[in-house]
Amino acid sequence: MIDINNVSFGYNREGDTLKNINLHIGKGECVLLCGKSGCGKTTLTKLVNGLIPHFTENCRLEGEVVAAGMEVARTELYELSKRIGSVFQNPKSQFFNLDSDSELAFGLENIGASPEYMRERLKTVVNELNVEGLEHRSIFSMSGGEKQALAFASVFAMNPDIYVLDEPTANLDGEAIEVLRRQIGKIKHQGKTVLIAEHRIYFLEDLIDRAVYMGNGEIARIYNGEEFFSLSEEQRVKMGLRKLSKEIPSVSRLPGRKTGCELVVKELCCEFKGIPVFDPVSFSAEAGEIVGITGCNGVGKSSLMRCIAGLVKQKSGKVLLNGKILTLRQRNKACFLVMQDVNHQLFGDSVWNECEMSAVYDNRLKIEDILRAFDLYSWKDSHPMALSGGQKQRLAIASGILTDKRILIFDEPTSGLDYEHMLAVSRVIRKLAERQHIILIVTHDMEFLNVVCDRTIMLTAKENGREA
Amino acid sequence: MAEINKNGQIIPIDPRTALLLLLLVTIAVFSQHSFYVEIATLLVIFGLFLYGGLAESGLKFVLQFGFLLLLQYAIFPVAPKLFTDTFSILAAYARKVLPCAMMGAFLVKRIPMRYIVLAMRKWRFPQKLIIPLSVTIRYFPAIREEMGYIRDAMKLRRISGAARIEAYIVPLMFSAANTAEELGAAAVTRGIENPAPKTSVIELRLCPRDYVLIGCGIVLAAAAFHLR
Amino acid sequence: MTAIQVNISRKLKGKDLITIGIFSAIYFVFNFIFMLVSGFHPVLWILMPGLIALFTGVPYMIMASKVQKPGAIFLMGFITGLIYFATGMFTVIILITFALACVLAEAVRYLTKYKSFAGNMVSFAVFSVGMIGSPLPVWLFKDSFFDQISEQGMSTEYLSSLNALANNTILVVMILAPAVLAIAGALIARALFKKHFEKAGIVKTWQR
Repeated sequence: MIDINNVSFGYNREGDTLKNINLHIGKGECVLLCGKSGCGKTTLTKLVNGLIPHFTENCRLEGEVVAAGMEVARTELYELSKRIGSVFQNPKSQFFNLDSDSELAFGLENIGASPEYMRERLKTVVNELNVEGLEHRSIFSMSGGEKQALAFASVFAMNPDIYVLDEPTANLDGEAIEVLRRQIGKIKHQGKTVLIAEHRIYFLEDLIDRAVYMGNGEIARIYNGEEFFSLSEEQRVKMGLRKLSKEIPSVSRLPGRKTGCELVVKELCCEFKGIPVFDPVSFSAEAGEIVGITGCNGVGKSSLMRCIAGLVKQKSGKVLLNGKILTLRQRNKACFLVMQDVNHQLFGDSVWNECEMSAVYDNRLKIEDILRAFDLYSWKDSHPMALSGGQKQRLAIASGILTDKRILIFDEPTSGLDYEHMLAVSRVIRKLAERQHIILIVTHDMEFLNVVCDRTIMLTAKENGREA
Repeated sequence: MAEINKNGQIIPIDPRTALLLLLLVTIAVFSQHSFYVEIATLLVIFGLFLYGGLAESGLKFVLQFGFLLLLQYAIFPVAPKLFTDTFSILAAYARKVLPCAMMGAFLVKRIPMRYIVLAMRKWRFPQKLIIPLSVTIRYFPAIREEMGYIRDAMKLRRISGAARIEAYIVPLMFSAANTAEELGAAAVTRGIENPAPKTSVIELRLCPRDYVLIGCGIVLAAAAFHLR
Repeated sequence: MTAIQVNISRKLKGKDLITIGIFSAIYFVFNFIFMLVSGFHPVLWILMPGLIALFTGVPYMIMASKVQKPGAIFLMGFITGLIYFATGMFTVIILITFALACVLAEAVRYLTKYKSFAGNMVSFAVFSVGMIGSPLPVWLFKDSFFDQISEQGMSTEYLSSLNALANNTILVVMILAPAVLAIAGALIARALFKKHFEKAGIVKTWQR
């Protein structure tokens, strides 16, 4: 179904992103592409769905890729799209329409399918994928998980032979990943060919026939499914891969270190357009403590953090630091929030300038220290937006530290990070805890949660926040 | 009564009728010199609001119009000079464009974007125009979201003065450029460049009430030219 | 072994259309903000085309840099006009001036081969002048306009001051202001290009 012969590829004249790739995938096979960030797995998916070379300017491609009987480089994208469907990682930017119904029909309307056929087909899609809940919705009322399920359903509607999935779980919580797992199971059962590039692997057990491990733009090794999931823990870590089995948040409460500095959240409750986002939440956190906050998508974790940081007004309840009630402005001053999408909070024209803008006092040495600790010093003259996702994340954290604020809040700091970068972020956060910051982390990355947090708070939809 | 589609949205009239009516109302408004035509236009649109189940919002427009009349004929002649001078042009202009704005409000409230696109396809507008237009409409809510995030981020940092404007514009532009890239990739892999004529799940059909409305629009536009 | 390079065509492709759509949205929002502000006072109304030009230089120039093909500006103008029209906020006059400005801006881009900063700056200046269609009716329908407002009890002093405002000098100023401020807007855009956008690699460097 997919034949990649002697392919080398570069995004520009110099340097190969992919070298000597040979890969043959049979009909009905489900193949995982894995490896560290920058190993070339996303690039490889683009060879198959035609984004390379059709969507990539000034690139250099050698060799031949044939998918579903079409020579990819010589076939128009719209021809490829009839038989090759793609789902990408960012649920926010895969939509053209404001409502879900238009979105489901979008692909079929593009190929000019008859209205009768479309109505029939859409019924089938909704039944087979169990996505009744996604019909007749406004896209902007949907959670990230729902958007991703819709993106999958609208590709499914076109009934392609090959599915190319590029890090589809990067922004999803456990529940949404489970939905995706069932959807992939469905297409596999239908005999479709699936190519999936992913960091998170555990949910693919029993689904994949082979796993392609890549490194530095080359295929390092190909495992069959069984072999792959029986890799030893030691091998997995050496390969820089995420956990192969599902993690459950473990309760590892460290003995409280009384430091006298304490954040107390009392009966805090927020409203959005008159509707409470979550029920009153109470908890406390000591200096030097790392508290994880988890719960399903849409349960209000981000709103709770924005409220603690004083970015939204609470409906009721209060936030105290060292026994003093803080106003919104004081909370703005006491907290730094590293957002889920750090692109919104980088304003500088270079990495160094970004740090200077944040530093409370002009302290070249301190900036240099922190940049070195975060492995960013050699990038100090680059523009923040020219950095990779992980580097941007680290820069946002670095600038947060330089503001010298007591309370540091991280909203999903590991979305889309591979194993090593996830560990790097957790090391940094540990160091911050040692410097007596109060640290709150919102995450549904259980692996990360278990590595870094001292304590976990589960937010549930209808009840009070419960401590685990 | 207006039909309700399966989305639960009310589609009172064909989107083509609504767009044509807007065009005719605009012509009528800018060529009329008669108070009667002005009132008739307003009443036709108000009728449409009632038909579409928008009585409350329709009434608001009518009250606004009444207020403007009151302002122009009862208050301005006796009000202090400064007040009259500042607001009279505005009032005259607001009164003139009110029927257009009212018709526009009807379109926004009652005709979903999907139907407007459909109407444009029926009229054989080129895809090159329909695609960017739908993306524009789709991106408006995203801009608002982005601005909210950027504002939050600025509250947590000390950014002041002219740097604030830069701090708004720059991330907004980066995010727009990224979205263009990602949305583009998603679009082309779903066949947006396919030259085949586009089809739609929904089929449009003009019915008698559409003809009645278009008829009203034509009468208004014609009257606007002939009545003085 | 075959090496494949895809040549860049002059025709607008899917990605170009989406880029145009997104930057038109930003252009429209900036434009709309000043449109609302201009409702506060007649003087602001007359200044509006200029103010819009000053602040929309950045999205315009980024789009011009990302889509160096014919039709981009025309589409941006068409979308803006259509949304304003469909929400009942554009009059026929401004639709005409706006359309003319778009065609001329496209012509400037065509003649300057799309790649230079100067060429795109001039096209932006031309494009920006299109907005004068909004206050233009004050001049075009001067007589009926003044008849109407004098009926409404406007003081003679105000009428004469408005008359003075609606004279030809102001008209010339109103036409020149957006052109001049568009140049300023484009220069701001160029500064931000150097400081941010080129450095981060999201736009192409202008050619001479």
